Amino acid sequence: MKYFLYWGCSLEGSGKNYLASLEPVAEVLGMEFEEIEDWNCCGASISYVGAGDLAIKVLNARNLALAEAEGSYDIVAPCSSCYIQMNKVNHEIGEDPELASKVNACLAEGGLKYSGKIRVRHLLDVLYNDVGPEKIREKVQKPLTGLKVGGYVGCQSVRPYGEYDSVEKPTIQDELIQAIGADAVPFPNKMKCCGSGIFLSEIDLCLTLVKNILGDAVAHGAQLVSTVCPMCAMNLELYQDRVNKAHGTDFDVPVVYLTQLMAAAFGLDLKRGAALDCNIIPPEGLIKAAMG
Amino acid sequence: MANYDPSFAREVFQNVDFGEEIKMCMQCGVCAASCPLSTEMDYPPRQVFTLIRAGKREEVLNCNSIMLCTSCYTCKVRCPRKIPVVDVMHGLAHYALKQGFVPRRQPAVFGREFWAQVYKLGRIDEKDLPRRYFFSEGLVAGIKGTLDFMDVGLRMLLHKRMKLLPERKIKGIQSLRKMLDKAERMGKGGAGA
Ligand code: SF4
Ligand code: SF4
Repeated sequence: MKYFLYWGCSLEGSGKNYLASLEPVAEVLGMEFEEIEDWNCCGASISYVGAGDLAIKVLNARNLALAEAEGSYDIVAPCSSCYIQMNKVNHEIGEDPELASKVNACLAEGGLKYSGKIRVRHLLDVLYNDVGPEKIREKVQKPLTGLKVGGYVGCQSVRPYGEYDSVEKPTIQDELIQAIGADAVPFPNKMKCCGSGIFLSEIDLCLTLVKNILGDAVAHGAQLVSTVCPMCAMNLELYQDRVNKAHGTDFDVPVVYLTQLMAAAFGLDLKRGAALDCNIIPPEGLIKAAMG
Repeated sequence: MANYDPSFAREVFQNVDFGEEIKMCMQCGVCAASCPLSTEMDYPPRQVFTLIRAGKREEVLNCNSIMLCTSCYTCKVRCPRKIPVVDVMHGLAHYALKQGFVPRRQPAVFGREFWAQVYKLGRIDEKDLPRRYFFSEGLVAGIKGTLDFMDVGLRMLLHKRMKLLPERKIKGIQSLRKMLDKAERMGKGGAGA
């Protein structure tokens, strides 16, 4: 199973624990990743301020065109924002030949061309549909028995097309959590938006959104929250003491990537494999479950 | 419902990305009920569309709603008429800014710095972007913003979640810029190819 892994702008920085745990997990599962040579930013959800829609499409189409020229594997985006941007552009180009020719006219300025062969997929999709919970279960060495995980899906990871999970009631992250022996704790706000790209420019609003998500997860019994997006992880983890100050709460909820849970359950080193040392709020429950 | 005045609606259909999509709106309010930020907005999305039909140009292009959108896509998923509300909101915000309106200051500043960096490097530098954002409002605001965020930055650094090397330009930056420039000329409201 070979894929292009679209790094995006966070995976070497704020999302370090995502990449650091994804790579060894992928190795265990027999997934092979290549980088798209000279990829560019997807524009995230805030580019509309500076750019028109066609420019944003062309920005993403450049990555698709590069991937097509370099081998046409599926592109896997571990970041929900990258996923939605690239996937949306890919769909829109595919559905509208007139748009496709406009985009190609722009790509031609750089000698590129995109004919629509690439599929863009979220990491969750690939883990569930290509690898599958069965195979993941087989690789578990240290089942995370008794660990109560709130699987936070976020808003962008299955939207807008719902290609691999329900857009209103997604379940596959929970199934993967169960596959590694932990208890998936459903909570109604698991698809509520974390604030994403307004995390710096509208901090107060972002704090309220974060409070509603964490409060709901905790109220339903989650010991920790798992995510599949670096923006979600950052907003939920980094802002907890600000939320506490602003809203009089006392959150101290570890926020881990699903791949960190998997790495721990696969018996990989908690530091080098699961990258738990990168977590600001130490996931003690997880460490205990993985040691026990 | 307000009176119908087609002049602004026509302007929106012609110049705003996804603007013509609102023709299909049946004013059911599902988008407003679904939006996580509608209570913070001057007008919920449904009402923004009513105002466009009523010709309320200033109200629409100045309202914070079009810049508070977080792109959660709930509206797009739920709209019974399949209107990409989120894309219309972004289109309106882009158009408003181009026309000299500032519907909401901070996201406008942040977004401008964001796109400037994409255009300059082809990628985002996670350290540099916040710095530019804080300092874009002057030295004093910059120092204050930086100090306010010291705790966050320091914790990221201590937990190895900061890329230490500065982000360099992608190799194809010149050709990327040519593509983007052409797209801006060919796009809605652009100067033409
Ligand atoms: S949900 Fe769709 S049809 Fe209903 S008010 Fe919103 S945009 Fe209009
Ligand atoms: S995408 Fe924007 S307008 Fe739509 S529901 Fe989310 S925040 Fe509201």
